[in-house]
Amino acid sequence: MEGNMIHSDHLTFTYKDSKEGIYDVNFTVKPGELVLLTGDSGCGKSTLLKCLNGLIPETVEGDMSGDLYLEEERYSGMKMTDLNKKIGSVFQNPRSQFFTDNTTAELVFPMENYGFSKERMEETLQKLSKEFQLDGLLNRDVFSLSSGERQMIALASSVTMQQKVLLFDEPSANLDYGNAIRLGKIIQKLKNRGYSIIVADHRFYYLNGIIDKVLFMENGKMSVYDGEESFQKSGYNTRSFDIFSLTIPFVFEGKEEEKIASLEQVFYKDILRDINLELYRGEITVLVGANGAGKTTLAKLLCESIKPDRGKVRSVGLPFFIMQDPDYQLFGTSVINELTLVKNDPEQIKGVIEKMGLYPYRNSHPFDLSGGQKQRLQICMALLCDRPLILFDEPTSGLDIGSMQRVAGQIKELKHNSGVLVISHDYEFIRNVADRVVYLKEGRIEKDFRSARETLADLNKIFIDMQEEKNYEKNED
Amino acid sequence: MKALKFNPVVLILINIIAPSMYILINGKYLMTYLLIFSVGMMFLMGRYKRIIALLAVFFGMIGIHYLTMGSDKLKWIGLFFIIMAQSVPCFALASVLISKYTSAELLSALESLRIPRILVVAVTITIKYIPTFRREFGYIKESMRLRGIRFTMKKPLRSFRYFIVPQLFRCAALAEEITSAGLVKGIDAPCRRTSFYQERMRWYDIAVMIIFMTGIIGGLVWKAT
Repeated sequence: MEGNMIHSDHLTFTYKDSKEGIYDVNFTVKPGELVLLTGDSGCGKSTLLKCLNGLIPETVEGDMSGDLYLEEERYSGMKMTDLNKKIGSVFQNPRSQFFTDNTTAELVFPMENYGFSKERMEETLQKLSKEFQLDGLLNRDVFSLSSGERQMIALASSVTMQQKVLLFDEPSANLDYGNAIRLGKIIQKLKNRGYSIIVADHRFYYLNGIIDKVLFMENGKMSVYDGEESFQKSGYNTRSFDIFSLTIPFVFEGKEEEKIASLEQVFYKDILRDINLELYRGEITVLVGANGAGKTTLAKLLCESIKPDRGKVRSVGLPFFIMQDPDYQLFGTSVINELTLVKNDPEQIKGVIEKMGLYPYRNSHPFDLSGGQKQRLQICMALLCDRPLILFDEPTSGLDIGSMQRVAGQIKELKHNSGVLVISHDYEFIRNVADRVVYLKEGRIEKDFRSARETLADLNKIFIDMQEEKNYEKNED
Repeated sequence: MKALKFNPVVLILINIIAPSMYILINGKYLMTYLLIFSVGMMFLMGRYKRIIALLAVFFGMIGIHYLTMGSDKLKWIGLFFIIMAQSVPCFALASVLISKYTSAELLSALESLRIPRILVVAVTITIKYIPTFRREFGYIKESMRLRGIRFTMKKPLRSFRYFIVPQLFRCAALAEEITSAGLVKGIDAPCRRTSFYQERMRWYDIAVMIIFMTGIIGGLVWKAT
């Protein structure tokens, strides 16, 4: 136990009135170690992180046994406020990360709580600003920041108390490739500075070559691997270590059919410039680009949520838009009722929910479904809606590899009747699903090509380009 | 003229004292006084658009009151609007408090009033939830449009449910998230909380409080005589 920063000794936690939880978890983390915590959705990663930052048992009811130690001190003897002076947490959802709505207020918030003097707060703020290059980000509304910038503020605010341990819950879920690679470099820097870091994530390409230990969870149980190499031999799908080496067959099998939507010389504020795009039934087009490139604005134009300043947007009917967060899109009282709102055809509804594995949940309230089930319900709606164009906004954000492949299969189903436009920064998913790739860079369509063996180098170049763009931005800073 | 930024404590105190004075002071006097006072205060804060909105809403309500008071059948509408009009000046000042001050500034201001921290946190979260509610409401409205679900007066209850159910579930999720965010950042630390934003009362904060209290005391004296 000596010399360990964190030590878990037969830790078990089960949620109240449930068998879900983590069982007999044993591992150690040494100072300066970078540990990857991975496994499929629902395997217990978030539960373990909550045990480590004290939210379990503070806010979650359940049965806990075994022990956790921080620098040889037993967790049960420490208050949560003492614990969080040493452990910083970066949450998955940027919305849940922030207690205040102003970046500077967020950075000083922990220091205020722990009673720091104003001088000390100013000094720390200056230090953080220099360390994380926050110059242009101070005193801003957190909702006006891009995902990458928000991640930076979240990270800086988790080390304001000079914590020794950092916990990350799926930090790459909302980041484009370039920002994820940049995050990987920052994590490496923090590791070199002596922080013990635990990163829980499904994708780990941005940590390639710097992982010291892998904690793999399956149904609440843990296996420990000493480094990337031994984890790669484990049999789990670890292809995400090197995404460019994937061998996935190219999927386009049809031909361009009827044109269903188009943008002609479209301009919108200083976000989109001279956009020309045609979308066809029977085709899956993936829209890629860095955070802030204008992808969502383009989708909004197609949905008639906003009007272009110049140019024409044509569509044979209103598209069906599947948002990233399904909670905003569910209005029914049961799965069947939800689908009846889309199309009142009981036979077709039955067929669709059977296909998507939701038949056992047909009478459940949509909000009682798990995240994956909600997403399948959204796809059921899209299958029933008879709209010519279906739009998806980052459908695989936060999904494990197996779930991502399932979603890819379901999206392919949709192209039999409609055209599909998917906004995504998930390379592996794009390789699985795209018939065509459109690259948006700084508000312009930089590239538009069919996804095929001959164009694979172009796709890879886009991702490298997004990474270089971030490197350049960083140097500019 | 440079816009003044009043200490949020001043705005909070005014919003606590003013509405409760309707029990003790002549309604017409207090309504007129609060209207003039809030217009003056917002002028000093440089919130000109909000002054126009305040006056439009206030006189709109008063207009409806006078138009309907002549009819026995519609009188109840007029009474409803005159009661609503009484609260408009306070709502206008409260809206400035919500939109122009960060939650950290509000937190510090409330703490300086020596209110228990648990109450301070609850009030801050409630106040700051209003813009979040507005944003989430926008997403839901947009989502209803894209789903082809319309708000219809023919089925008001069902339409209302479409708006409110997702909002309630979001609210529950948000409550859990914000509690976790607060706890991991030491919101319940047992030491005395300091503030990065805490500002001392300036001369204009004190001056505006004196003017406000003079008007209120004047109203009390007038009623007594």
